[in-house]
Amino acid sequence: MYPILLSILFPILAGLFLLIRYRTPLSSRAGTAKRKTLVILTGSFLIITVLLTVIAIFTAKEGFTLFYLTETLPVYFRIDKAGTLFSLLAVVVLLCAGFFSFEYMKHEERESRYYGFYLLLFGVLNALCFAGNLITFYLFFELLTLTSTPLVLHTGSKEAVMAGLKYLFYSLCGAYTALFGIYFLYKNSVTLAFTAGGVLKASAIAEHGGFLLAVAFVMILGFGVKAGMFPMHAWLPAAHPVAPAPASAVLSAMIVKAGVLAIIRVVTMFGRDFLRNTWMQTAWICLTLITVFMGSLLAYREPVLKKRLAYSTVSQLSYILFGLAVMNEEALAGSLLHVLAHGFVKAALFLCAGAIIYKTGKTRVEEMRGIGREMPLTMWCFTIASLGLIGIPPTGGFISKWYLAIGSLKSGLPVLAVLGPIVLLVSALLTAGYLLPLTINGFFPGANFDYDKLQKKEPCKLMTVPILILTVLSVLVGIFPDGIAPVLALAGL
Amino acid sequence: MNFICNFPFFSILLSLFSGTICSVLSAKAAKLVNRVVIVAVGIMSAILLLYLLSTGEPFVYWMGHFPAPWGNEIRAGVLEAGMALFFCIIMYLSMAGGAHKLFGEVVENKHNLYYILVNLLLSSLLALVYTNDMFTAYVFVEINTISACGLIMIRQVGRTIEAAVRYMIMSLLGSGLLLFGLCIMYDLTGHLLMSNIKESVGLLMANGEYPIPLIVSVALMCVGLCIKSALFPFHAWLPDAYGYSTVSSAAILSSLVSKGYIFLLIKIIYRVIGFNIFNSTRIIDVLFVFGLMGMIFGSISAIRENDIRRMIAYSSVAQIGYIYMGFGMGTQAGMVASVFHILSHAATKSLLFIAAIGLTDVSGGSRKLTDLTGAAYRNKWAGAAFMAGSLSMVGVPLFSGFISKLLFSQAAVQVEGKMLASLIVLGISTVLNAIYFMKTVIRIYTSNRESAYPSVTFRDMKSYAAVLICFMILNVILGVSSQPVVDMIQLGLAMFD
Repeated sequence: MYPILLSILFPILAGLFLLIRYRTPLSSRAGTAKRKTLVILTGSFLIITVLLTVIAIFTAKEGFTLFYLTETLPVYFRIDKAGTLFSLLAVVVLLCAGFFSFEYMKHEERESRYYGFYLLLFGVLNALCFAGNLITFYLFFELLTLTSTPLVLHTGSKEAVMAGLKYLFYSLCGAYTALFGIYFLYKNSVTLAFTAGGVLKASAIAEHGGFLLAVAFVMILGFGVKAGMFPMHAWLPAAHPVAPAPASAVLSAMIVKAGVLAIIRVVTMFGRDFLRNTWMQTAWICLTLITVFMGSLLAYREPVLKKRLAYSTVSQLSYILFGLAVMNEEALAGSLLHVLAHGFVKAALFLCAGAIIYKTGKTRVEEMRGIGREMPLTMWCFTIASLGLIGIPPTGGFISKWYLAIGSLKSGLPVLAVLGPIVLLVSALLTAGYLLPLTINGFFPGANFDYDKLQKKEPCKLMTVPILILTVLSVLVGIFPDGIAPVLALAGL
Repeated sequence: MNFICNFPFFSILLSLFSGTICSVLSAKAAKLVNRVVIVAVGIMSAILLLYLLSTGEPFVYWMGHFPAPWGNEIRAGVLEAGMALFFCIIMYLSMAGGAHKLFGEVVENKHNLYYILVNLLLSSLLALVYTNDMFTAYVFVEINTISACGLIMIRQVGRTIEAAVRYMIMSLLGSGLLLFGLCIMYDLTGHLLMSNIKESVGLLMANGEYPIPLIVSVALMCVGLCIKSALFPFHAWLPDAYGYSTVSSAAILSSLVSKGYIFLLIKIIYRVIGFNIFNSTRIIDVLFVFGLMGMIFGSISAIRENDIRRMIAYSSVAQIGYIYMGFGMGTQAGMVASVFHILSHAATKSLLFIAAIGLTDVSGGSRKLTDLTGAAYRNKWAGAAFMAGSLSMVGVPLFSGFISKLLFSQAAVQVEGKMLASLIVLGISTVLNAIYFMKTVIRIYTSNRESAYPSVTFRDMKSYAAVLICFMILNVILGVSSQPVVDMIQLGLAMFD
């Protein structure tokens, strides 16, 4: 009980401490010394949190009830396999992006507020991963939206505020749509605790199975908002790019995954056997395929790098959702692998974009000609991570997409079984189309390029090391997918 | 009979007479008397509540030892005592939270008048809560109206006089209709005591006599109380009345006065007509529909509002809609949800009004949303409190508003015909709430460098900050450990029969 509780409470309290202790912005005069203590404090808080989380994952075997919200609705925590997977990803991404931001945030204002909310977010994410029943999950799902909004709002510009509002409304709408479903599920199920194989009462399935399918669909649509699923994806390309780059990395690599975890939970609650081969599955697969294609196409047309990456997130997340929707072993394995692969890759890409902005101030893709000559290490990482996203062996993206395609072909669904892999392939081509030009123009700016203007602009180690770690991890996922197989043992689905 | 059984009677008389005494006291002494009376009544209600929980039986108290059907009766159960205690808590906090503003809002020599009105209001609320006699209820409804009017008008700017007149007209219309209903009921049954009326109504219904006059009487009473508690189409008086009166008045009016009438309606439903008979009429469908409309239109009006106080006031319209929706479901669960929402809304709305005043004070007194940019940095406690209140209104878990919504939805799922409508409107209304409350929260937390307004620190406003903290704690308690409260409400409703 205590390890879990500590891993949730410690970052939240640490975050609140930072918010209260440094509530006035650092003045420029006494700033440097104070900034140093702030960074050291935040860094040690981050490391302690990571340790606590890892200890919690490996020691806490049993669930516990913290308190009762109402008589029949306990706030209950338990670590299962899906939770472990997402929590490990969160640990890596938040740690890397956190250290990256110590350098990056130098040129932003109100650092302390950023770190405070960052730690709060860490705690809430842990709680979300360790939640043992749907109501606890929902509780922290809402809190996640609220604690991540300040990161979107951080710069305080008009654009950021509008994007923050958009994020908030889409997320709240989605959450309430899902809550709507939870009420019905609550009425028709044995328990709200996550149980493999479904919790629906047999009598309920017999009596109004069709209605329950609709409820499941509504819940998936609702939680799907967070995962940027068509038709409720518009907030994502607006909200992710306006945040500071490390925050964009966390939002794109981790926060949206909360939506994926939510959908995994929903599928678990209803039971895969209940949902398979129904109109709901067909509709859901169609939505994900539309999103995959549309996201890539929009990314292809987008000139601003961070926005391009955000559109790419829309597309890639629906790869994951596609695998969940197909609902057989291979596709699920592909989905979970892609959760990891995309998490590492997208975090790395956003951090690279951040490093470029930090060093050169360039945001648009066409300005970045020759950037590979100036920041070779960063661009190498960018290239390798891009290959991961495109799905070229031996990177993580290849394995996950392989499983997704195999799963789809094996599913035996009419039309979609074949259409799925085709869409995935076309989208992979588009992915290559929107990521590789950066590498190509970056390293080979062409004959008419003024080489004399180039300067060494490689960022300091605090920035490059996190990028490097994430890039290496994204490749390792592809080389040793068996290493994480125990975790993937289908995550209790 | 235990001595504690005198407490309801003591509470009513104490607050009534202290009001009279205040007229000859100085402003300072009147303030002290007012605080002491509220605390004393609160303590008595708390003891009474514990006593009732231990005996588990409601009791009837004969005024002057005249037995029914001639004498006047007071009746106390768990719900009445709990409600009285809660009203006292909210009233004390509202008074304390608005105290520092009173000097700017009310002319110095009228301060003791203000406290007279508050004491009278408290006594009438307590009487509405405890009485077992319909005519006494009517009399105190009038006292309540008059003191509420006074509370609105005591801040003498043009707009409040207009608001008070509007309130007066609408309220008198409401009490008039209540009186009509009461007369017809008296004519049909020959009684004024609630328990006796209920017996006769039961007989009349069983024999099928006078069905139409009976329904008309019930409908008139309902409409009367709906007007007074600002259910949707009758809410026109509300934004001005809440928006321009003194801050304590606004908090008290929104969280207590309208709730007193709603509580009276609950008593009428249970103790006068009978829950089952009431639910067999079409009236609940009408309440349901207007409740739903209120939930949506109240929020839409709030979205279009650019004045923070009026925005909060319009949000009350939506919240009152929730309560009537619960009545309209016609089930015990719906009623429990409504009663819980009375508590939750009272705790949240007064918090919002009091936090709003802190924000407007640091924005040069302007109430325009555009001027409030960054106000939360200038007054941190008010900002945090406003955010807590907003989150509760939107229904974020861990705050009281979430539990209300949970209870409403759980109740809705059990009612076949009204399930979908209530859940959909609940969802829409929640999103609408989120639109205007979160918009405001983000605005007050958007830093504004051009603003020349000074900031205030904790040291400048200790008592004000303490009040806000108490309110936030109250909200979180209702949100986190709602079960004992819900149990108590269920027990109290069971005691009504």
